Amino acid sequence: MKRRTLTTLAAITAAALPLAACGRDLPTAAQLAGASSGAAATAGLSPETTPPTRNYNKPVVWATYRPVETLDPVQAFDYPENSVDTTLCDALQRQLPDGSIGPGLATATYPTPTKLVLNLRSGPTFWDGHPVTAADVVYSLKRAASPTSGSFYSLVFNRVKSIVATSPSVVTITLSKPDFWLQGELSSMPGIVVEKAYAEREGKKFGTPQGLTMCSGPYEVKKWIPGTSLTEVANPHYWDSTLQPKVHELIFKGIGDDASVTSGFETGAIQGDYPLNISTLPQLQADKNLTVSFGPSNAVDALVIDNLKGTLGNVKVRQALSMAINREALIQALYHGHAQLPRTIENPGAWGYGQSVFQADWDRLPVPTVNIAKAKRLIRQAGAEGQSITIGTTSSINSLATDANSVRQAAVSIGLKATIDSVSAANYINFFTSASARKGIDAFPTTNYPDYADPAGLYNTLAIPGGSQNYDDFSDPAITNALEDARSTANPDQRAALVAKAGDLIAQQLPWIPLDAPNQLLVTAKQLTGAPDSFVYMGGPWANMMGGR
Amino acid sequence: MVRFAGRRALMLVVALLVSSFVIFISLDLAPGNPLATLSGGRTLSPAAQRVLTHEYHLDQPVLERYWHWLTGALLHANLGTSIEYREPVSSLIGQRIGVTAELVLYAGILIVLFGVGLGLLAGLRRGFLDNTVIAISTVLAAVPSFVAAIVLLALFSVKLGWLPSLGDGSGFASTIEHLTLPAIALAASAFAVVVRVTRVTVRAELAQEHVQTATSRGIPWRLVVRRHVLRNASIPITTVVGITITSLFALSAVVEQAFNLNGIGAALVQAALSKDFAVVQGISLVLVAAFVIANALVDLLYAVLDPRVAIGSRAA
Repeated sequence: MKRRTLTTLAAITAAALPLAACGRDLPTAAQLAGASSGAAATAGLSPETTPPTRNYNKPVVWATYRPVETLDPVQAFDYPENSVDTTLCDALQRQLPDGSIGPGLATATYPTPTKLVLNLRSGPTFWDGHPVTAADVVYSLKRAASPTSGSFYSLVFNRVKSIVATSPSVVTITLSKPDFWLQGELSSMPGIVVEKAYAEREGKKFGTPQGLTMCSGPYEVKKWIPGTSLTEVANPHYWDSTLQPKVHELIFKGIGDDASVTSGFETGAIQGDYPLNISTLPQLQADKNLTVSFGPSNAVDALVIDNLKGTLGNVKVRQALSMAINREALIQALYHGHAQLPRTIENPGAWGYGQSVFQADWDRLPVPTVNIAKAKRLIRQAGAEGQSITIGTTSSINSLATDANSVRQAAVSIGLKATIDSVSAANYINFFTSASARKGIDAFPTTNYPDYADPAGLYNTLAIPGGSQNYDDFSDPAITNALEDARSTANPDQRAALVAKAGDLIAQQLPWIPLDAPNQLLVTAKQLTGAPDSFVYMGGPWANMMGGR
Repeated sequence: MVRFAGRRALMLVVALLVSSFVIFISLDLAPGNPLATLSGGRTLSPAAQRVLTHEYHLDQPVLERYWHWLTGALLHANLGTSIEYREPVSSLIGQRIGVTAELVLYAGILIVLFGVGLGLLAGLRRGFLDNTVIAISTVLAAVPSFVAAIVLLALFSVKLGWLPSLGDGSGFASTIEHLTLPAIALAASAFAVVVRVTRVTVRAELAQEHVQTATSRGIPWRLVVRRHVLRNASIPITTVVGITITSLFALSAVVEQAFNLNGIGAALVQAALSKDFAVVQGISLVLVAAFVIANALVDLLYAVLDPRVAIGSRAA
């Protein structure tokens, strides 16, 4: 339910680097020969990489698209913070590389549909040696649930009535209505446990460069130079004997533009990165000292429809526009072909449960293809010929500019008038936060994802009234009911069926228009191996799986 | 001397006050909202928004916020807290100013050594050397520092692997190693300006009547150059070198970004984009102070170079 926000570097080097500058031209049909057909959902994509055989003793520099800004998990919501928090902290539930969820600091059981019981593991300790107790869990969860603590996650606790330590090692969460999404949330940032005494002592400084944090994870903070780098060392007392870190020192650096990341890799200044998309992919792939691989991801690129009162208020116009978008060209331009054609607003990499149910549904959905003639017919039926739309974007972030250009081309090709309203990279995020910034904008592109491998985690933000990203008050009772029912359904396959049903309806109603579903790109130095190639780095352990080859 | 120092100190204070006010107000007028940075674009509940707005005083009118900042700065030497990094501005600047100062110093030395040196040689000796220097400086003058950065990186770092591509190193040798390419990128276009001004100034002095008289009286060429040409040429050369080097503080932003250096220039750009008021304010004031102080030093140098110039008066 988040998005990549802004890259500052893009803003300053946009003029400098052709590769970071505004949207590239879409490739020709001949260049598209290798583009993903979208036929097999996750075929050939695996989160596995070669397992490490030994320790890696040199420091590993890991790039994030911008520097880390906070270590407070309840304020982590974007790539850099999530990738760092998952190395420092443990959550109550644990996301695995394939998207499934297992026990973390606790096992979770639902004795009744409205009661979630967390049985704490004995053994985990914080870096300072204190054991992780039920009091720490209650404190951390209440902090995440509180709307006034600065937490970004209070909404996900809206079915929670009470959180109580029923014994020194048991925490009981009582729900107002059944909520089987909560287990997923507890595997992500809102489920991270921090030390109560430490957080209370640091107060407002908690999570900042002065206050740092106190977790139980495989790495601990050694040095943080805000705006530049965060150095971590392996926690020698990590409680999980199966996942002892093999890389001794890990340095996260915020490096924004493709050129710097590329030269960093080629000169050995960077050892690893999960790039969102990188224009220099062929160059990295050609480098014999690097390993480049693709795995399943939770992310989708989509066009947010934020105004249902304008031209796009008519579902036929949205369907026509969707039908006219050349997604294969877009996938080639942005991801060199390494993305899937989205049949609804989901990435098959986000099927963390009920895979066969989701797969069967996916197979039934049509592959999106360009059909200008049919699209024009829809526009005529809607009486929308010659009507205009305005697409918001920023020319400073290549992927967003390319998305917007591609939508504009589609709109023009079916007889709509389309204008692009480009703002600075810094102001682009205002489309998400400020109604006045969205004024006059009909749609804008985004990269979005659910926090754990469940398409519902994204659907509920955009397709339910009151959803955090439902900017146009889109409402369809059938979609809302399917999602609400899914939330209350215990059986994973039945829940998947309801979520898939909502996905089918979303694909027809198009509250947002899906653009593509990128695969997870992972680049590491050849000598470094074992990092899972999936979206798990955003929610579960990953760095302690790496080591030397 | 005391009066000179006093006058300059007063000038510094006024410059800082005026610029702090102008920067604060213009940042407030610019579009964007620091809250968006704080939330990373995430939709916050109204309650969470209220908490954050209040915590960072964003609910107060701009003049009140300025006053709050100013009294904090004057009375408690507190430049405020960064919204983005939740870190006091003074420590943010403290961590970064070293790199920028080293970078500017390194580039300054390159400019003085090669810019002034080659400019003098080209001015004094016509012919092959002169033509070569002019040709090189023409090319360098046309290359903006971000292009120079990319070319240098591609050649010396990626292709040849001689010098590192990222970061600022620790320890003297490693710092020199890390800052060489950035310093060259930063110095390149300024070098061209200094070379040309030096060359033209020397040429002009050579054509002066008193130089020709001295030459015709049989005074050795070395002495003529030292006493009559260089002495007189030194004032305009000092002026241009002074201005060039102070301007490097601001220009360093681009180079710092390209080489991922942890300096104040890069931090300023980042802060301005995310509307991190206190950081923009703090760094700008450092830049203003650097400029005023460097100018004072240049004025002092005038008096040393030319006894006819009284301290503090502007040299011709």
